[in-house]
Amino acid sequence: MALLLLAIPAGALYLMDKPSLRTFAVAVVRMVAQVLLLCLVVWGMIRFDSALANLIWLLLSVAVAALVATHRGRLNAKKFLPSVYCGLLVGTLSVGLYLLYLVIPVRNGMDPRWFVPVMYLLMGHTTTMLIRGVSAYHTALKADEQQYEFLRGNGVTHFQAVKPFVRRALLAVISPTAANLSVMGLYAMPLLLCGIFIGGVAPINAFAVMLMLTFGCVAASVIALFVTFWLADRCIFDKYGKLV
Amino acid sequence: MVEVKDATIFVGDRVIAEGLSFMAKDGRLTCITGGEGSGKTTLLRTLMGFLPVRTGYVSVDGELLTTASAHAFRALMVYLPQQMQLLAHQLYPPQAESMDAEAFCVWNSVLPEPVAATPPQALSPEEIFRLAEETFRQSGDKQIVIADEPAAYLTPELTERMLGLLRQQSAAGKTVLIASRRQMLVEHADSVIEL
Repeated sequence: MALLLLAIPAGALYLMDKPSLRTFAVAVVRMVAQVLLLCLVVWGMIRFDSALANLIWLLLSVAVAALVATHRGRLNAKKFLPSVYCGLLVGTLSVGLYLLYLVIPVRNGMDPRWFVPVMYLLMGHTTTMLIRGVSAYHTALKADEQQYEFLRGNGVTHFQAVKPFVRRALLAVISPTAANLSVMGLYAMPLLLCGIFIGGVAPINAFAVMLMLTFGCVAASVIALFVTFWLADRCIFDKYGKLV
Repeated sequence: MVEVKDATIFVGDRVIAEGLSFMAKDGRLTCITGGEGSGKTTLLRTLMGFLPVRTGYVSVDGELLTTASAHAFRALMVYLPQQMQLLAHQLYPPQAESMDAEAFCVWNSVLPEPVAATPPQALSPEEIFRLAEETFRQSGDKQIVIADEPAAYLTPELTERMLGLLRQQSAAGKTVLIASRRQMLVEHADSVIEL
């Protein structure tokens, strides 16, 4: 019956702009295929109900997310892929397990019904923010190499010399989130909150879970950013401290 | 005191100077001069340990300076690079950009475009001089001053004031080592090394 609803936009396009009908159809098919695949994976994991399967799924998903982040961020995959992967994994897993075992009152943190959506949410947001953060850091270092050299030449440590650039990356990560948090749900209910309500959670609990997950997203992206920078450092600078 | 003994300075495969020896003493203004591309900047970078020497050595107060130990020595140095006009972000740290609140929701899956940092705007001669003054003020009692073309982007009037600043440093007993082609600076140096 839901498919019938598609007749409305499809009909409108048929009448108004026939060429767009094909694009619309392709988009719908792709969306259906992707959601179906995702749900099949989650269904399989719920059937398995194994912590090992959860971890294997997470390792694979993070690998895909890291590839997307390096590609979208126009970063050199050879230099950045391993550190982006580790940053994403550490950020997502540490905050995810913290939420599942210490914050959200669930009996089993490894239950795929909780593990998968929580990790997906954290990973999705962290990937988005890593694209901004790492690209901001790398392009700032390239555009402002003189500042790094000036600071190094005046005797500050490497860590202190990259601090202005890390600050810029952090701002690139925090400012969209801060802007977003300030208008959250004012005129449209966030999809996440809709999902929690549809799952049958009481409004007050939904409020708490929403807050926990949102704060988790911000924390995970900052952890991922710092781990990525720490690991990528040797690939970005040569042994003389010059930007490679 | 900075001493260079029988040093071979190079960039890639190109030898800039061979068997170079000189001493930059405390309380004196030493000027390295030479034509464009003669290797003044490379020599200064080598003296700071950013680049290695192929033969010979560089020492600071009698202690050997290598690229590995350079950081400890750089803690004794004040450095004014050649491209001072590009240090705008040192004077004016960039601020967070204003964001569209709906652009990156924590619940959506829209991938952002990479952030492209904008190159800093060039500083004016007055700002360059102010940054140099600020750097000297913050340096406290660091014993070695290294300035690469300190007057490159300054007006004649500010060049005189820069010379005054450098003179002030050497009068305080510091080792002042500059690289410059400006006649005024070369003439007022206590010793000149021609590359």
